[in-house]
Amino acid sequence: MEKQEPTGVFFYNPKDTIPDPIDYSELEAYALKYTAVKQVWQYNDFVWNEGSLSTIIESNQIERVVLAGAVPGIVKTLFSKILSLAGKDPDKVILASFNEHGIRKSSDLPRAKAVLACAICDIPYEIAALPDEFPSSPATLVIGGGIAGIQASLEIANSNNLVYLVEKSGTIGGKMATFDKTFPTLDCAACILTPKMVEVNQNPNIKLMSYCEVLDVTGTPGNFSVKVLKKARKVNVSTCIGCGTCAEKCPAQAPSEFDAGTAMRKAIYIPFPQAVPNKYLIDAESCIYIKNGKCKACVKACPVPDCINLDEQDQEVTLQVGNIIVATGYKVFDAKRMPQFGYGVFPNVLTSLEFERLLNASGPTGGNITVRTQDKKGNWIFGPDSERPESLAIIHCIGSRDKNYNKYCSRVCCMYSLKFAHLILDKLPDAQVFEYFIDMRSFGKGYEEFYERIKEEGVSIIRGKSAKVEEKNGKLQVRGEDILLSTIIENQVDMVILSVGLEPSEDTEKLCNILGIPQSEGGWMEESNYNTNPTGTIKGGVLIAGTCQGPKDIPDTVAQGSAAAARVIQSILKGKVGGDIDTLPLENIEHRINELTPIQS
Amino acid sequence: MSVRLHPEVRNELIQFGIGDWNACYHCGTCTSICPLSEEGFLFPRKKIRLMQMGLKDQLESSVEPWLCYYCGDCSKTCPRDANPGELMMSLRRYLTSKYDWTGLSKKFYTSELWELGFILVFAALVVISFLVILPSMGYHFTRELTAEGGVQVNAFAPIKIVEPFDLMMAFVVASLLISNILRMYYKIIWKNSKTKVSLWVHVREFWNLIFHFAVQPKFSKCDDKRYWLSHWLLMSGYTIMFILIMVFLPWFQTEKIHPIWHPQRILGYYATIGLLFGLGVAIVGRIQRKDIKFQFSHVSDWLFIMMLTLTATTGILVHIFRITGMPMATYISYIAHMSVLVPMILIEVPFSKWSHLAYRPFAVYFTQLKKYAVPK
Repeated sequence: MEKQEPTGVFFYNPKDTIPDPIDYSELEAYALKYTAVKQVWQYNDFVWNEGSLSTIIESNQIERVVLAGAVPGIVKTLFSKILSLAGKDPDKVILASFNEHGIRKSSDLPRAKAVLACAICDIPYEIAALPDEFPSSPATLVIGGGIAGIQASLEIANSNNLVYLVEKSGTIGGKMATFDKTFPTLDCAACILTPKMVEVNQNPNIKLMSYCEVLDVTGTPGNFSVKVLKKARKVNVSTCIGCGTCAEKCPAQAPSEFDAGTAMRKAIYIPFPQAVPNKYLIDAESCIYIKNGKCKACVKACPVPDCINLDEQDQEVTLQVGNIIVATGYKVFDAKRMPQFGYGVFPNVLTSLEFERLLNASGPTGGNITVRTQDKKGNWIFGPDSERPESLAIIHCIGSRDKNYNKYCSRVCCMYSLKFAHLILDKLPDAQVFEYFIDMRSFGKGYEEFYERIKEEGVSIIRGKSAKVEEKNGKLQVRGEDILLSTIIENQVDMVILSVGLEPSEDTEKLCNILGIPQSEGGWMEESNYNTNPTGTIKGGVLIAGTCQGPKDIPDTVAQGSAAAARVIQSILKGKVGGDIDTLPLENIEHRINELTPIQS
Repeated sequence: MSVRLHPEVRNELIQFGIGDWNACYHCGTCTSICPLSEEGFLFPRKKIRLMQMGLKDQLESSVEPWLCYYCGDCSKTCPRDANPGELMMSLRRYLTSKYDWTGLSKKFYTSELWELGFILVFAALVVISFLVILPSMGYHFTRELTAEGGVQVNAFAPIKIVEPFDLMMAFVVASLLISNILRMYYKIIWKNSKTKVSLWVHVREFWNLIFHFAVQPKFSKCDDKRYWLSHWLLMSGYTIMFILIMVFLPWFQTEKIHPIWHPQRILGYYATIGLLFGLGVAIVGRIQRKDIKFQFSHVSDWLFIMMLTLTATTGILVHIFRITGMPMATYISYIAHMSVLVPMILIEVPFSKWSHLAYRPFAVYFTQLKKYAVPK
């Protein structure tokens, strides 16, 4: 085979505590197939020390040592020393790190063998295991019309390539469209986002498919065939003029998704005034005609003939694309899962997304912060004559950093809570704001400065998470421990805002199964390499961007949207796309190693 | 004032129970969810901090672990699974071993061998005294007593011999327990160099001790009142029985079978029912492990429950056999009863789980003293 320096392979596998470890004896046999391998040691097989190993190395004339194991880097310096004690080049310690390549269980054995072979032959695994490339078709599918999907679509479309942007709801814009301000710059979110949304609508290279869902993906990288469900909108998008006469006449109501349930909308509705496309759609679940077969108030009211077709059915279309960018975003933690905070029981305990709508000038209160009051029918609403709250409490880490729910940090809650505190004081200068936090994570550019600014504005920031919210004297009593003073602090407030954490959006698991990409801990879509390839997946031609990969703020989301688009443009320019990373068989990698090994004379 | 850290305390504490106090990130949820945590006496978070830092002196002078009745709310809501409730439980065991000056308590808590060994030695001593020593003094029960017919406990285990031993045991146990309580007082109140408590406050607040011993109102503040009831029945039954046998043995161990309404029998039946009910709840709970307070059982918990159950059942057997007039069965169950009862009292009362019966009300009393302490 290849001609190489005499090599010793040391398997560093002390105390395997993982449930399903890989078979090191088989790896040992595999390593011995290489003629260069003169000696193999297993950590557990014998008692060794620096002196004994260096003697063996010296007597067997071994020139280099391959350290293989889950985390072999721990003993790298030790082996450098052993080599130098034996009078050899101390730099010739080569690592075959299994953890680094995602090898964790017995079924990963072929990949472990490939990593080991690469180390023995001194070929970088990344080069040897580079997937084959496939010819790629130029069209791209972007799943999800939030800010990540919008950004990616615009980048690709502006390079003169075709993009299908598939969005599940009636409008693009995603969660960002519901926000009032962004942190830490306090830019108006809508003012940044809506121009991009309009651009998406006007760009001839973008085929916007709102109210659609991806059903199935087949084919190979570069040549995907995507089945898309066009849900019956029941309003003709090309003829609807968005006049709103239909909604005026519609008798059926449902909670508005866009307003996070803080306001009502009609069964025929436009998600929000700046929606793209700015066309109405019918929610089949609340439409009276679809339920009872009688009503048609919208059809009668519509000034455009044949625009509304209440009998329209769902359709399936098939798209041919070369690359797919997934940007399905997140959903917020369901605060009802933590009953101690009284969400869903006390009407003035709100989640952050609800409060975001309350702050927003296009929200149910026109941007006024008011408490929920009971109307004549007994419903709790943000009425026109509702009172302003005098005191508010913001509780951080609801459903985040909690082993009972999600153990990860959701990354954005600290900052948006600080933003809330600022906006509350901006609108209600006399209000008292209490923030209960565990650790303040203001980690980004300008974030710490923003935190400083909020502190100076007079917000009471309490170190210590609140444990419960109770009703007392008609107010909400928030009880928590100030851990710095070691005292119990009980504040009676008018409104409580729960800073709920982020979770992968509803259909993440389904979509991951369709696309064949794994999920990381917490359910987020798994990137192919956390550090060096955060937007790639193990599937060729499938990229991820934004919060579907993990919790992140808007700037990071936008950056990932652009990054994923750059990958797609690269593949379009080459006309090729790389295959799936984990599918290259061991024989192919061995073959590639043979090709790459320099012939030594 | 600077303090000295003793990181080795953490390793010492681990021997007294389970817990992962390094997991705690000090969010304060446990303290604010706790129905018993009050200003000035906040727990569990502050105690966890003391443990993390290894502040040995502050830990030993803490009164708070005794104020916790383990409803488990803190462990349920803890976002880090640090299990603060169980940490408080471990601290109570740790403090018991610290109040004890003989060092036996620590041995019993940290080594099952020591505890079981002592139990077996005392049990063996009891059996030997009944089978060898008493017969050598002329109190044979095998031939003569059975021949005479009828149950004659006092002929077999004469009260004039049993009672002095009984009182001696009471004296030993009481002096150990009282000395431990004095050490507890020293650590919590006396040693504090910054504050002092006047004698009048000691007298004025003394009612707390009796009241909290008898009613346990702090326990009833914990969420599930049923546990308070079962624990109270257990405690009151145990206390009645304990006083009866330790102080009024001649009145309790009689040859005559009193009518059922006689106070001796009524008290005995009440104590038995209370004991069995409380024990039943504890055993079922600890086997089901549904409630968080029963999820982690230390060896000492089980030993206490087992010994108390055995004592109660053998006591019931003695009673049944005596009433039905079965002399031999009565004597054998009497020996069995004594061989469980004696080690239980000698080991559990001053050195182990039982001692909380004394420490808890004293802790409430000391808490009151601390509240009215004035600067020196």
